[in-house]
Amino acid sequence: MRNWFKLISMAAVIITGALLIYGTHDMPAWGDPDSPANSHVSPRYITEATKKTATPNIVSAVLADYRSYDTLGESAVIFTASISCFFLLRRIRNKEDHND
Amino acid sequence: MTEYILAKYNYWIYVVLMMIGLYAMMGKRNLVKKLIGMNIFQTSIILLFVSTGVKKGGATVPILMHAGHEHGAQLIQVSDYLNPLPHVLMLTAIVVSIATTGVALATLILIYKRYHTLEEDEILAIRRESRAYKTPRILNPTD
Repeated sequence: MRNWFKLISMAAVIITGALLIYGTHDMPAWGDPDSPANSHVSPRYITEATKKTATPNIVSAVLADYRSYDTLGESAVIFTASISCFFLLRRIRNKEDHND
Repeated sequence: MTEYILAKYNYWIYVVLMMIGLYAMMGKRNLVKKLIGMNIFQTSIILLFVSTGVKKGGATVPILMHAGHEHGAQLIQVSDYLNPLPHVLMLTAIVVSIATTGVALATLILIYKRYHTLEEDEILAIRRESRAYKTPRILNPTD
């Protein structure tokens, strides 16, 4: 039963991997400067970000200036995770336990 | 043929990493191994996105040199700097993956306190048994 399940999951994983490797045939070559990801909007960020935000580090400029609402939501994610870890892992003590 | 392999082998590495993570999530029965499989999966996706920002031919990290000079803005060559956008987006993705991993590990601690095991089939057996005898097996969480 267990071995059958492992075989089926292995087959599903191999089929998924084969489909993905077949899909990489259409992906741009590694490190291609003219690939769509490198030529569509990122030249504008590279040339304009320092002028508009006065920050030489473009990653910081995009993270904290262009996408600052995204970063605000990210800090909300971290806050939610830490609060839920706190409520999951806290110990509830009775008053009798508290005396000793 | 060699050129084709050199142009595409990074994607194949990420696909193999993703297969490892997916198999760990589906085939393993230990919950910690499933969680680490999810982490490997997320790492492969992050690597895939970061690799789309690579530019060959002398490009460096996207921190502008000579940014303080007045005429420096004219000298910016796009091909000199890596694509900054995948880096920013994957920074966000790393934060989310850390948050999910932390909450999942806290939940696993609670599961271990409740069932004294982390094997999936043993937990299911305990639940099935307690449902069959109509006696909820309540373990003392402090022991």
